[in-house]
Order: sequence, then structure tokens, then C-alpha cells
Amino acid sequence: MQYNGGSIVAMVGKDCVAIASDLRLGSQALTVATNFEKIFPVQDRLYLGLTGLASDVATLRERFRFLTNAYTMKESRAITPSAFAHLVSSTLYERRFGPYFIEPVIAGLEFHPAPEGEGKGTWRPYIAGADLIGCLNFAKDFIVAGTAADKLFGVAEGLWEPDMEAEDLFETISQTLMNAVDRDAYSGWGAVVHVITKDKVVTRTLKSRMD
Amino acid sequence: MASADGGAYRQAESLFMQIDISQGTTSLGIKASNGIVIATEKKSSSILIDDSMLDKVAVICPNIGIVYSGMGPDFRVLVNRARKSAQAYWKIYGEYPPTRVLTQEIATVMQEATQSGGVRPYGVSLLVAGWDINRGPTLYQVDPSGSFWAWKASSIGKNMVNAKTFLEKRYNDDISLEDAIHTALLTLKEGFEGQMTEKTIEIGVVTVPTPAELEAQRVGAETGRPKPTFRKLSEEEVRDYLAL
Amino acid sequence: MPGMAHPQQHQFNPYSENGGTILAIAGADFTVIAGDTRQSEGYSIQTRYAPKVFRLTDRAVLAVNGFAADGNMFVKKVKQRLEWYRHAHAKDMPLRAIARLIQTMLYAQRFFPYYVYNILGGIEDDGTGAVYSFDPVGSYEREACRAAGAAQSLVQPFLDNQIYFKNQTAAPGQTHPCHLPLPDVLSIVIDSFTSATERHIEVGDGLEMYIVLAKGRTLHGMEGLRGAQELSTQTDGERVFVVRRELKKD
Repeated sequence: MQYNGGSIVAMVGKDCVAIASDLRLGSQALTVATNFEKIFPVQDRLYLGLTGLASDVATLRERFRFLTNAYTMKESRAITPSAFAHLVSSTLYERRFGPYFIEPVIAGLEFHPAPEGEGKGTWRPYIAGADLIGCLNFAKDFIVAGTAADKLFGVAEGLWEPDMEAEDLFETISQTLMNAVDRDAYSGWGAVVHVITKDKVVTRTLKSRMD
Repeated sequence: MASADGGAYRQAESLFMQIDISQGTTSLGIKASNGIVIATEKKSSSILIDDSMLDKVAVICPNIGIVYSGMGPDFRVLVNRARKSAQAYWKIYGEYPPTRVLTQEIATVMQEATQSGGVRPYGVSLLVAGWDINRGPTLYQVDPSGSFWAWKASSIGKNMVNAKTFLEKRYNDDISLEDAIHTALLTLKEGFEGQMTEKTIEIGVVTVPTPAELEAQRVGAETGRPKPTFRKLSEEEVRDYLAL
Repeated sequence: MPGMAHPQQHQFNPYSENGGTILAIAGADFTVIAGDTRQSEGYSIQTRYAPKVFRLTDRAVLAVNGFAADGNMFVKKVKQRLEWYRHAHAKDMPLRAIARLIQTMLYAQRFFPYYVYNILGGIEDDGTGAVYSFDPVGSYEREACRAAGAAQSLVQPFLDNQIYFKNQTAAPGQTHPCHLPLPDVLSIVIDSFTSATERHIEVGDGLEMYIVLAKGRTLHGMEGLRGAQELSTQTDGERVFVVRRELKKD
């Protein structure tokens, strides 16, 4: 899990979620690339982050692309974050005794329809994480993963507060990620943040320490 | 041997017709504004048969139920397949399949029997009734050929032609579930032979959950035992509907 | 069957790891040194109250973390050396001298070290707040803030952000302050420990915060502080206070 390095964090806000990762790809202590993205769009308002062994990150990205495309065609609808989280879990558990060396993080908005005649319904924040064999963790506040997980826990626990607006959430997740990865030799070298709201996803690349 | 004029298909088709119509029961389904009712008559060939064991309306998963006309043993096999399919879906996605997806699964099973070696087609037509978050309450029919489609109200089995005509006259889009249940009983009564009692009628209903119930289902989804939106009516409930 | 017995190897491991976390932050004219009071071994809690922070003099406070037995012995020996110094020189040892003494004492055990991370906090002779942090064999450095122990990895990046303003850009024409006021430091310390308690099993039970004030500094900034207890021997020099708070016990 430490071979390539990398870290991901996801946080819940008020009617919004954010997911962020660093951009480092390493080979043990040697940094090989500083543009290695670990977060991938699944649907319009659903993102999947994968940390861990880079080859498994690439393999699983394609595998989940395949599985969600198949789902979308079979069910003629977009996959919901909760169904996707379970799909991730069962896909990983299939390899219980020869696992993919990754830790997934899922962040998105889940649609809750209103009863008939009472408006359209609401988009509620949804985040989930799992270990490498798919044990799901539905946190109400934040999910961390990767080589800087312990640092991310410490900073996030100190900075996060409930019901943040999208701008505050962006600032909080960015500060959490940057200060955590700056204390981790295996993570850092740039960062990318996605803030997901009902109407749009804002993706920003952060300028951070490159050492 | 398949031939250019479609001989094999015709052979199968004629078999479908035989199977579908020859068995002596009628089943029907009606979609209401706030749910669905599926109902069937059950007839036993002898008064000595204990028909309390006979289940013609089957629960597949908490949100879907089916009823059949045709050959009982074939139905039993399909129920087993459908239940397994629903559980397999739950194991992957943490929720039960939408009605359309489950119907498609059953239809695929039935279609495969029409072109596999050493098997005959399933001798049943099905009505699949269910509720899901995407399409709300939906009612499908599946035929032995593997074709399936959605209905607002329909019937299958011996009296299907008369029953459909009856339903066409009675049906409207904003019928309530209670009214639909009574319409279902009236329709069955049209072609019923013998006494219509809670022993000779089976009813299943789909209800639409309230937002509060939906929220409770999310908790239930973790255990796989959410509050059902499809349920069979008990003999007492059927008796009460018959009395009205 | 004595002939069949396999040779058995026994080894005594003289070290253990007793969890907990310590932390110190220097202000312009004060220093806060804090530690939790849980002592554990593996998944067992040995006690919910084992102090890790000790007053050495009116201007020096030492926090020790790691192997508790070594820590306690080390503090005992430092205190003894400071008493000898008082007997010889009729004054308390200056903070920077205590720091160098600690280095010497730790390095003396270079090949059988005290399994302890030390953080020394207090007031320098020039009246500034100071924090010295040590590794187990005596490498040391003066800093503005430092966390050590089980939750170091959780707390230190938070401190980087809140004390050093890392990754924060000051508003145009403005700069970040070098030293934070006492109330801000105290709330950062409390937040750090509640966060560490929330996410680390070896941190919790109680929090002890020592506050060292420079000579002549008023109690400004301690007004809202509930239950501060003075430990200093005189009121006209540097003053030491301790504040205790509960932490979650699960």
C-alpha cells in the first residue's frame, strides 16, 4: 500500500460534498510523476477515489467504468451512490483472498424523491469508504484514505464542522489535504479538489509544496 | 431442425398457446394510483386436496410479487430462480432489483428454455407486480416465449379475453387501490366456477411507501429486510374484501 | 524425554510503549505544555491518570512520552541535577541550559537509550516563550511548537496549519502573526487533544496543560480559564499554572 503513495479525503457539507487527492505517483521514495490523478467521475454527481497500488488503481478504474456502463444500460438509469458503494464493496470482496491493494473513497449526491405533488425531491450528500476487501464505512463527516490517512484524520477532526457551504467546504478540504500531505513523504506534489453541488461540479487544481 | 419458414418457432408458438390457455385458471393485475393488486383463482381438482398449501401468488423480494396462470411446477421453478436472482442483486448492490430488471431476468430464463436443447418452454404466463424508486408501481406480463411488457391492467389464463374486456370497461387512471381490489374480485367473479371464498382466491398488493417509510427502508436495506412494499393478503383480509 | 527437548531461547525486552501524546506551543511571553493522562500497554489501559508533564522550575516544564518507566526515571534524574545546580549556584538553571543538560543526559545513554520523546517548554532568560524538542538520544531543536507521542501524526499537521499558518496566504498587505495570544493557543491545544482523543485509542481520559508566564507578565488571557492552579514558588518571577480538563474515556 506504500509502494506508490498517495492520499484521498472526502467531506460532507450542506447540500454538497467534496473529494480531494494529491497528485504524486512514486516508486517507494522516488517520485515518478506529479500529475497522477486518483479520483474519477462515475456519474454526473458521483466520484470515485482510489488510493494504493497504482496498477490496481488503473485496473479498477476501468473495471468500475465497465460495471457502471453495464448497469446504466441494463437499468436505463444512473447508478445511485449507495448502490455504487455496494458494487465497489462486492467487487472487492470477490478478491477476498488475493485482494486489489487499494482503498476506495466514494463521494456523491444521492437523489431522494419527494412524494407526488410535493416538488421534485432533494439531493443529499453521500460519502463512503472501504478497506481493500470492501468493508464499507458510511461516515457522516469525512472519509480519509492513503499513506497520509492518520494525518488527514488529525487535521480533518480539527477543521471539519457540520453544514458547511460549498466555499467553506472547499477551503476546509483543501487545508486538510495540503497540511496532511505536507507531513507525509509519500503524498503531495500537487492536489486536486472536486466540490459537488446539485447544479455543478467545481474542480480545482491546488498549488502546493512540491517537496 | 430450424427451417427457413420458421417451422421450429411455429411449433414452439403453438405450444405456448396450448399451455397458456389450456390450464383452467384466470389471473389478473390492476395498477391503481397508489399501488397494484394481483389476484388469481385457485381451483383444485378434488375436494380432498388440502389447498391451503397451494401458493399461486409468490413474494420474490420485499418489493416484488408474481402470480401465474399455467403449470404449477414450472411456476415453482421460476419463483426459485427469481428469488435467487433478487438476492444475488441485493448482494451486489445492497438493494433489491427494480421491477423491470427482475422481470427481464425472469424473461431471460424463460427465453433460454425456448432455444436450449433437451428442455421445453416454461408452461406459464406471469404477472409481475412491484414498486421501485425509479418507476414507482409497475405491472408486467411475461410469456413463455420470453417476451414481456407492461400493463395498466390485464389478465392471463383461461378467461383472459373476457376478463380483459371487463377491465377495459372498468379501468381508469386514478382508481384507488381499494377500488382496484374490488374491481379485481368482480372481474374474477365474471368467469368463476363454483364458490368464491378466501380459500379459492389469492390476492397480492403493492403499496407505495411514504417518505417516512422510505427512510426506514434505508435502515432495513443494510440487513436486507426492509419493510415490504409487496405483500400477500391473509385469508382474513380476503374474506373481508369478499364480504363487501 | 529430555533428549527430545528443543533448545529454547529466552529474551528479555527491556522496553515497552505506553501511548499518550504531548504537545507544547510557545507564545511571545508564555509557553503552554500539555499532555493527556492515559497510560496504556497494548489494548489495555493501565491507568487513566498518569501525569506526563512535570514542573521542573518556575520557568521550565518538561513533558515526557514513550516508555513510562524510562520517562519517570528520566524526569527524576533531571530534577535531581537541577537541585544540585541550585545548591551549587543558588539559582534555577536557565531554560537553554536545561535543554543542553537533557541532551547530555540522553546521549549518555546512547547505546541503551531512555525510550522517551522529551518536550521542554518554558521561558528563556530574555523573557521569550520557548519550546525544545528532543529525540530519544538527545538530538534537539528550539521550535515554536511541537507534538510528540502516539498521536503526533494527527496533531502535528494541524499545528503546522494553525500555529505556523502553513498553506495559508495572508490577506494582501498583511502578514501572519509570529506568536498567537494565550487564549488562541489554549483553544488550539484543547482542540488538538479532543481531536486526537476522538481518533486515537491511546489518547484520552484527562488533559493537563501547564502555562508558564514570563516575569512581569499579567494574567491577561487567563480570565476565562476555569480552575487554573498556580504552582510557582514566588509571584514576582516567572509563574507556572496547571489547568486540568476531562477527555473522553472510551
